[in-house]
Amino acid sequence: MKKKSLLLMLAMLLVLSAFLAACSSDNGNEGDNEEGSGEEGEAAKGGTLTYGFETAPEGLFNWAFYGIATDADVLNLFDESLISYDENLQPEPGIASWETEDNKTFTFTFEQGVMWHDGVELTVNDWVFALETIAHPDYDGPRYANVQTIEGAPAFNAGDADSISGLKVIDDYTLEITFDEARVNNLVNVWSYPMSEAQFKDIPVAEMSASPQVRQNPVGLGPFKVENIIPGESIEMVKFDDYWKGEPNLDGIVIQVLDSSTIVGAIGQGDIDMVYLAPVNGEEVEALDNVEVITYPGLSYYYVGFKLGTFNAETKEIKEDKAKYEDLNLRKAMAHAINREEWIDAFFFGYGDPIDGPVPSNHWIAAASEDLETYEYDPEKAKEILADAGYKDIDDDGFVEDPNGEKFVAKFSHYQTTNPTFETRAQAIVQYWEEVGIKSELEMVEINLYYDMIEKDDEAIETFFGGWGTGTDPDPTALWGSDQLWNYPRFKNEESDKLLADALNVDIVGTDQEARKDLYIEWQNLVTENLPMIFVAELQEIVALSDRAENITFDVSGYNSPHEWSLKQ
Amino acid sequence: MLKYTIRRLIGMIPMLLLISIVVFLLAKAMPGDSLSGEIDPTNTDPQYIEQMRERLGYNDPLPVQYFNWAKDFVQGDFGTSTRYKMPVSELIAQRLPNTIFLGVSSLVITYILAFGMGIFAGRRPYTIGDHIIGGLNYLGLAIPSFIAAVFAIYFFSFNLGWIPYSGSVDIQIEKGTLDYWISRLHHVLMPAIVLGALSTASYTQFLRNDIIENSRKDFVRTARAKGTPTSKIYNVHILRNSIIPLITFLGFDIATIISGAIITETIFTYPGIGQLFLNSVGNQDYPTMMAITMLLSLLTLVGNLVADILYGVVDPRIRLD
Amino acid sequence: MVNVTAETGSQQEKTINMSPFAIARRKFLRNKLAMISTFFLFAIIIVSFLAPYITTQDIAKVNIGSMSLEPGGEHFLGTDKSGRDVFTRLLYGGRVSLLVGISCTALVILFGTLIGSMAGYYGGIVDSVLMRFTDFILNFPFLVFVIVLNTILFGLVSGLWVLIGVISLLYWGGVARIVRSKILAEKENEYILAAVSIGCKPSKVIIKHLLPNVLSTIIVQATILFASLLVIESALGFLGIGVPQTIPSWGNMLSSSQEADVLRNKPWIWMPPAIILTVTILAINFIGEGLKDAFNPKSNR
Repeated sequence: MKKKSLLLMLAMLLVLSAFLAACSSDNGNEGDNEEGSGEEGEAAKGGTLTYGFETAPEGLFNWAFYGIATDADVLNLFDESLISYDENLQPEPGIASWETEDNKTFTFTFEQGVMWHDGVELTVNDWVFALETIAHPDYDGPRYANVQTIEGAPAFNAGDADSISGLKVIDDYTLEITFDEARVNNLVNVWSYPMSEAQFKDIPVAEMSASPQVRQNPVGLGPFKVENIIPGESIEMVKFDDYWKGEPNLDGIVIQVLDSSTIVGAIGQGDIDMVYLAPVNGEEVEALDNVEVITYPGLSYYYVGFKLGTFNAETKEIKEDKAKYEDLNLRKAMAHAINREEWIDAFFFGYGDPIDGPVPSNHWIAAASEDLETYEYDPEKAKEILADAGYKDIDDDGFVEDPNGEKFVAKFSHYQTTNPTFETRAQAIVQYWEEVGIKSELEMVEINLYYDMIEKDDEAIETFFGGWGTGTDPDPTALWGSDQLWNYPRFKNEESDKLLADALNVDIVGTDQEARKDLYIEWQNLVTENLPMIFVAELQEIVALSDRAENITFDVSGYNSPHEWSLKQ
Repeated sequence: MLKYTIRRLIGMIPMLLLISIVVFLLAKAMPGDSLSGEIDPTNTDPQYIEQMRERLGYNDPLPVQYFNWAKDFVQGDFGTSTRYKMPVSELIAQRLPNTIFLGVSSLVITYILAFGMGIFAGRRPYTIGDHIIGGLNYLGLAIPSFIAAVFAIYFFSFNLGWIPYSGSVDIQIEKGTLDYWISRLHHVLMPAIVLGALSTASYTQFLRNDIIENSRKDFVRTARAKGTPTSKIYNVHILRNSIIPLITFLGFDIATIISGAIITETIFTYPGIGQLFLNSVGNQDYPTMMAITMLLSLLTLVGNLVADILYGVVDPRIRLD
Repeated sequence: MVNVTAETGSQQEKTINMSPFAIARRKFLRNKLAMISTFFLFAIIIVSFLAPYITTQDIAKVNIGSMSLEPGGEHFLGTDKSGRDVFTRLLYGGRVSLLVGISCTALVILFGTLIGSMAGYYGGIVDSVLMRFTDFILNFPFLVFVIVLNTILFGLVSGLWVLIGVISLLYWGGVARIVRSKILAEKENEYILAAVSIGCKPSKVIIKHLLPNVLSTIIVQATILFASLLVIESALGFLGIGVPQTIPSWGNMLSSSQEADVLRNKPWIWMPPAIILTVTILAINFIGEGLKDAFNPKSNR
């Protein structure tokens, strides 16, 4: 009797596990069995590509309203900009082409016959609709800065006008936009995503971001259309036959949200075909036979900043009133102390490179490292500079005192999240400083508090870790101007302000990109000489593709048009 | 009974009010707000952030903010999620079915396992089987659920490939079909087992001890003397008596499961209320965070009430007033 | 046969003359599982607190040259992703985790007993006010509170003490309830009435007469609490909101398992803290069971 029921339980467990195993083996083969092989030499047709996401989209699937990069990644598959960018981040005609004589008034001409997913043809009115939505007083997204510069937009925004005076519709395919002044970057700055007027015309602007047209049934112009959304989990897209560049090769794309802990397993088993990887997973994925890992330069970098002053939010002025790191030689010594190659290899597994200036090296305005003052790893030189600047070890504790003979402790702050590696990489930087004789201490701060403290120039922040990215528009004023809240080191330099202003001034640079680049190179020289921050590393984007995925290529602006993607049959 | 229930329900109101004030103040005391965080100059600018702070009312005096929030909350308007830009009530409605499904599955698993093991052990106390079950129970009580979850993913997902990595269902399966429900079950199984493991251990223990105790009672002896078959004595007479106290645990389970779901859902990336809660804390999404906290408090209070009422129902000797 | 009954007879005779605590002690000492667990727990505590004398490795230093080494050789349990010796961190981590566990248990028992005995003894309005307050504390949003207090007190108090304070402040509710109900029952006895009638001060009645009688319950509660507080510490550490990440603790060590690469390929980094934590909790549970058994006059195993 006893034995019998024990056996019964065991048997039940076995049945249960067999059931589980059966379920999972079913799963793996889904979607592989589509038929139809492509012609010789041409991309294969058909198949559904599974695209893994590490973070869940928020569900704001409209360019005018989205907030996070993940939503933009979804948008990129089913909607697109009127203007595209080449591998040098220079604008090139897409649906729209343009003409201008003075950089103030632009005439845009649309391709004819471009269709929205709902079968309505795209006209310039859709663009006007988008611009007026963003300039509308009730608009609750963050894009007004991209419309503000159009003539009459501020008046419309304030409710003083019924339309934006700078927009002139000539016919369904031609629009003339007049900006408030001639600028070098008017074209790259202006909002270039139309919004389907047919879909949105009956919805008050204030309710748009919560509407089903944004969340459940978004409509776009891109090669795939959204079929089904399970919020926070997955999105199913099918090909849009009437895509203006031609019928897509794939039948569809499924976006699957995965936890970071499961991504490597999923791509290894062939459950997903494409995924952006964190550096930590790169090595492991590269070891897989059935996966190809592609890297391409990103547009963001990490730095160690010095707090040099405080920002007054009222007057928007920086006062350079923090004296601790005032000595340029101290900053230089601290820069020479850091072994960036070793640090990048250890914490980013080689998927990054040391960066020598304030512009990611693949941006077209970036100065070559040879032209900049660089701070290579050289502990001996660091010690020398320290000694020359008066930082000497007086009390023989192995660490230097400041020129006044007082104890000197450099404090380094780093943000803290659930990611345990942050503490390690921050600790490593502290150790580099200690090795050249600068006593240092590390403080980990919860991430939201951290940025709050940096923005408010909290006393506790002395040197800090940070990262930021630049977009296609090269203008770095928002991060470096001396009247900017986001100038975190509180770097104040009149020459820098002047160079940045000149580079945007049509009267000085005209339409000559080279002249503009020269000014930016001069500016980069100035910044690296003054060293308000130690430039540490720029990261690479890492993509893993399964061996089924074909015709997916990348450059600094991202991937090629998804309608060219295909799957090996 | 009805009078008692109503009195208890009314008694909850001041408690909820107090909790709401605390939750609100805590939310306000949290560093930063939904608009702060890592800067992204390609995406937004400081002026917009200041404008949004003003529009969202973050600059109003605290009491004004509280009353606005509380007033709307009572009327069923939980506010708009600052992160997902949609009404919190809809957001919760979207996730709640997943959590309920997880909770119910975990309860079912708990009951099946606990009954199986508890009855088995109770009928054969101090045998090898009983000791094995006892050992498993101790282990179940000792392993923290998040460690169990990590081990489960490591072994069953990575090494054996039995269970899916994440999510609640496979998107390509058509909704409503049998496959769809099997897929959902398949996704929920592991988190449910992990979530249910803790209560399984204490239920099993309770059932075992209760059965042993009851089997020594007079009515069992009488039944035995009358010649009732052993299996009938156990399955009918003893079990009926032992199940009754278990029912009262149900109330407490509601709260336990919901709070346990916070960490379990996060580890299994199962999109339910718990995961939403942790995300909202991380993203400073106050309206969502406050609404879920209130919901959890309410559920705990209701759970306790249900437990007390059930207690009175199964044991008429206990007076409720 | 005769001998056996004679022996149990004499044993019973002996126990009759012993105080309840002496009986409990004897029962506990005979309980093999509980004794082994006790030895184990003490061993863990001693080894952890002597960590600085046992290993000489620097716990904070990141060793870029020796990251993620497998167990064996110079590093008995291998190294973690920052090149720190796992064994050393396990010892130091135990120190912090056990410190959190022990000090929180002490504080929780203190608060819980204080509130519970006052509510139970005075009854009436004091009782209902204190019990409403207890209900309120039991319903507190714990996670949110931990995060908020950590940030408010940032820089003023070390994060470790903030954590201990927060846990202690929010966890005494259960103990208070149990103590109250025990005191309520005990208070009806005649000897208490006698003590009150001869004019004993309430504090004396509670401390001298009531608490010794609920002590066994409190001790058993303390073991259960100790185990669950260890879980709380590690869970918070796992989520990244516990003990500051610069201090090693079992929870902080476990948080490395959130990284896929560690979870899948470097189990020697996360398994040791997971196993030691589980075994410690198991030991504490056995001790708790042993104590419960020992204090139970009905059991005579």
